[in-house]
Amino acid sequence: MRSWHTLSRYWRLLAYYLRPQSLRMGLLALILCGTISIQIITPLVASRFIDRATNGGMVEELIVLALLTMGLALVGQGMAIVETYIAEHVSWSATNALRADILAHLLRLEATFHTAHTPGELIERADGDVATLARFFSRFAIYILGNGALILGVLGLLAYVNWRVGLGLSLFVGLALIAMLRIRASATPLWVAERQASADFYGFLGEYLSGLEDVRSSNAAAFVLRRCAEVMRSWLAITRKAQMRGYALVASSQGLFALGTIVAFALSAVLFRDGTLTIGTVYLIFRYTEMLREPTEQIRNEVQDLQQADASIARIEALLQITPALVEGTDSRLPPGPLAVELDGVSFGYTQESMVLHNISVSLEPGRVLGVVGRTGSGKTTLTRLLPRFYDPSAGSVRLGGIDLRDVRLAAVRERIGLVSQDVHLFNASVRDNLTLFDDAVPDQQIGSVLETLGLADWLQKLPDGLNTMLGSSGIGLSAGEAQVLACARIFLRDPDLVILDEASSRLDPATERLVHTALGRLLAGRTGIIVAHRLSTVAFADDILVLEDGQVREYGPRPALAADPRSHFAGLLRVALGEVSS
Amino acid sequence: MRPLPTWRYTLHMARYAPWLYLLHTAGWSLMNVLSLAPGLIAKAFFDTLTSKASLSDNIPMLLGLLGILTIGRAALWMGAGYVEITFRFIMSGLVRRNLLRLVLDRPGAAALPFSIGEAISRFRDDGYEAEDNMDWSDEIISQGLFAIVAFAILLSINVSMALIVIVPTIVVSVVAQRASVALGRYRAASSQATSHVTGTIGDIVAAVQTVQAAGAEQRVVAHFQRLNERRRSAILADRVVTQAVGAITANTVSIGTGLIMLLAASILRDGSLTVGDFVLFIAYLSFIADFTNGLGQYLAHYRQTGVAFARMDAMLGNAAPEQLVAHIPLHVHGPLPALLPPINRVNDRLAVLEAHKLSYHHPQSGRGIAAVDLRLQRGTLTIVTGRVGSGKTTLLRTLLGLLPAEAGEIRWNSQLVEDAASFFVPPRCAYTAQVPRLFNETLKQNILLGLPANPALLDAAVWGAVLEHDVQALPAGLETLVGAGGVKLSGGQIQRTAAARMLVRKAELLVIDDLSSALDVETERTLWDRLLTGDVTCLAVSHRRAALSRADQIILLNDGRVEAQGTLDELLAASTEMQRLWASETDETTTEGQLPEERLPEYRGDRR
Repeated sequence: MRSWHTLSRYWRLLAYYLRPQSLRMGLLALILCGTISIQIITPLVASRFIDRATNGGMVEELIVLALLTMGLALVGQGMAIVETYIAEHVSWSATNALRADILAHLLRLEATFHTAHTPGELIERADGDVATLARFFSRFAIYILGNGALILGVLGLLAYVNWRVGLGLSLFVGLALIAMLRIRASATPLWVAERQASADFYGFLGEYLSGLEDVRSSNAAAFVLRRCAEVMRSWLAITRKAQMRGYALVASSQGLFALGTIVAFALSAVLFRDGTLTIGTVYLIFRYTEMLREPTEQIRNEVQDLQQADASIARIEALLQITPALVEGTDSRLPPGPLAVELDGVSFGYTQESMVLHNISVSLEPGRVLGVVGRTGSGKTTLTRLLPRFYDPSAGSVRLGGIDLRDVRLAAVRERIGLVSQDVHLFNASVRDNLTLFDDAVPDQQIGSVLETLGLADWLQKLPDGLNTMLGSSGIGLSAGEAQVLACARIFLRDPDLVILDEASSRLDPATERLVHTALGRLLAGRTGIIVAHRLSTVAFADDILVLEDGQVREYGPRPALAADPRSHFAGLLRVALGEVSS
Repeated sequence: MRPLPTWRYTLHMARYAPWLYLLHTAGWSLMNVLSLAPGLIAKAFFDTLTSKASLSDNIPMLLGLLGILTIGRAALWMGAGYVEITFRFIMSGLVRRNLLRLVLDRPGAAALPFSIGEAISRFRDDGYEAEDNMDWSDEIISQGLFAIVAFAILLSINVSMALIVIVPTIVVSVVAQRASVALGRYRAASSQATSHVTGTIGDIVAAVQTVQAAGAEQRVVAHFQRLNERRRSAILADRVVTQAVGAITANTVSIGTGLIMLLAASILRDGSLTVGDFVLFIAYLSFIADFTNGLGQYLAHYRQTGVAFARMDAMLGNAAPEQLVAHIPLHVHGPLPALLPPINRVNDRLAVLEAHKLSYHHPQSGRGIAAVDLRLQRGTLTIVTGRVGSGKTTLLRTLLGLLPAEAGEIRWNSQLVEDAASFFVPPRCAYTAQVPRLFNETLKQNILLGLPANPALLDAAVWGAVLEHDVQALPAGLETLVGAGGVKLSGGQIQRTAAARMLVRKAELLVIDDLSSALDVETERTLWDRLLTGDVTCLAVSHRRAALSRADQIILLNDGRVEAQGTLDELLAASTEMQRLWASETDETTTEGQLPEERLPEYRGDRR
């Protein structure tokens, strides 16, 4: 029952990713038939050669047989090259399609998933795991079928030559295959653990490699190397167990085949003495027995690959089966123009146990700008994450333009929102791709004028390759402040109707920050805005102020009114800030 | 540095675990002996059958021998397998651990010339090539030796036929040598393409929210597919060329087989060659063919291993290439190494730190700092300030050796500092980076990073970093796992954890790169108060008035040069740039009423 389930899983995967490759798969099957025929014919030629040579055959005939052997080998090799090309083409096309699907899936999953997995681990899962499937895609089905056919052909020929020999060897082949499948099944969980151990190792590496500055300056290299030893230890233990199963597989199949050879030798010795077999036929049986080993070992190799592939398939399926918690809505669009923002009795927590936001109600009219202030942990950033629908509220509803976000398609919501978050992420790609996020439709001129608005015209001028200059670790480096300005530039290149700035200028010096703010102020004209900040200057152009405290609304109202009311908390905050400097 | 020739790496690695290597060689040599024996048994079998004499006793003995061989072979296979698994793991483990050690030894801020994903691909794939090379190196030699034995046996049977077997072998090695030049190029291209793909996956999953918020998922996947496609064609070329070289070698062998048959045709008939001899010839030819085939592949692989070592060598910086295979303990068995606390020496005590004409320029952008002078007295606070891109972070990093200085000298108590990177570490100096990194360990481990746990010291550091209330609020306190990159903590908590990491090291000099970007005024003020209690020397980057007004001296940078230096009052009087930076804050805050301070109080607490 379980194995049936496994088979149907393989079938689904193969059918899905190999369908576009069906023509090439057909070609592969054809080539395989060719190589099988050559493998079966070659010993027949040699057997005939021995019989003719020992019984005084014509030299010309023998030479023809010798040349035929050489010719067959040449054709076989030619086919092998073509086979490699097609098989690699098939496997890389299929695995690349799978990689892209996994990446697209990862991009659909929300933050809850991504906080639990390091980029290093995900690299191993999206690339490392998929790489082990390369053979599975290109060769598994065809090789299992082809080699199965070869085994049946050889056994059939042997049975035709002598039924006892045929029957005896069939028994050994059967035994060998059963043993292999048994060992394989017991090895799969070990390989799953092995793949995880390897993903853990690269997850560990990736994390510390990205914190080299901290490690170096804290003199903590010895600590990292000690952790390295710990991770390697558990990896070695599991890899040893898993791989030993592989060696057991080889040992058992080789042992069984050697026994098969002994039986075949014994039988043919007896039959040769009887005069039933010629010496050429004995040679043929000897060669065929040897030959049976190869396809069985091929099947074994595929099965051994399958051990790893099985583990990878399980991990990939597990990954693909993680469904985003968000259910897509059906409405295809929000109303045009600046969007009204309403939070209606919204409560939210990342886990069920601890709520971060409690019963928040806010109503922001289209075109107005809301400043959100409050201490760390008061839920400011969390609030902004509900608007692009990174999460759904646990209670209450979030509405944009009067429509509940749960009723609208995600893409329709996000295309209307421009968000600059606290963390800036750059890609190892051109300046252009970093700004447009790989949108080729944005004209260079527009990018240039946005950079000018943000005071980066000089910077752009000095770039060796203009907008095509590579950014990131393999290209030009940016200071943390410059990266933040670039992140702001991204939303200038879009045309969002709701702009959300989450401490978007915290790393800028006051002079640059003012420049950016002036630009942002112009950008916000005619759009709805939400600005989260520590600094009062940042919320200076807000129309309304929301003061959050412990995830609850402490105060909410028009900014001038709050600032003017001496009893308001907001005015109190201003006074504290004032007192700081005079103290 | 130029990488070594591959054979020298191989030798170094073999010497690391000589007994294991010898055991590996011995296991596979014995395996080869056991592979040669069945051929001789088969020859004896056919000769017995064709000799017509009734030697029926002989056959059971031959078959019994074959049975014993079989059992021996299976047992040996398991034993040799165990050795091989361990040996291979230790070989790649050695290279990977050395690589990590050397990367950790580089100037921290300039350590990796490529993305994390690309670096991981070098650890993973190039480490694997190195391991594979070791596995093959002795197997191919032992296989070669037994190919010679097989050849000698064939020579004893028929000289001219045996010679025809060896000719293809020579042809093959020459062809493979030539082809391997081309192979190296294809392999380099395909490795490069692979690195691009892994690097891009890393980039994208790190920036997942940016991509999602911008609705750029499809475009990002399309970009990824373009890179995938590039990798596919690079690898396809690599594989087909490898297979073609394999085919050339295999073809020379099959031509050899044909030649044997041609020669055997006449002598089989006259009886000077027995059927058993013929069987042995065919069997040993395939043994020798396996070797020539393997040799061809190995030579090609050897070249590819050279590419792998060159790629890893590119991560070493100035370390000698031998360091990649240096004999260091792997600690995969036995007790883990003890972590020693830093030792406080008398002359580590800081009186005055001076830097003279410090310069560094980023190789790609050409920007940086030029001829910066600096003088820090014990017990003073020095603030570095200036606009975005003026070189503040670069100055700190260059001083600490996190970037390699191009020029200039640094003196600690008038002693010249030779190697800043290894000098400016605890207990002399501790540092908080602008964007500090936490690791997927407990909060406590993130603060200690291997220091022995001293509860009093730890509590003091947590208090000094104004983190004590956060620790109380966390479910497991200091034992809370912070998640990958510290995702379970808020930005402010990450920054203060890094400050605690700095404080727990009890350093003479504290260097801080912009602590305030995620802190509120009140916390920042408390932090400065606690930091500056007692006899503390501190160098910090900041724009904030809280810091500037406490400074004993301010260094104002503009475009990588010191524009002005002095106390706040002096600079405000003398420097227009300083006035502008200072005024920007005042101007903004006046729009908020008559507010000279620009930031809101922010208290402790947890933000996701």
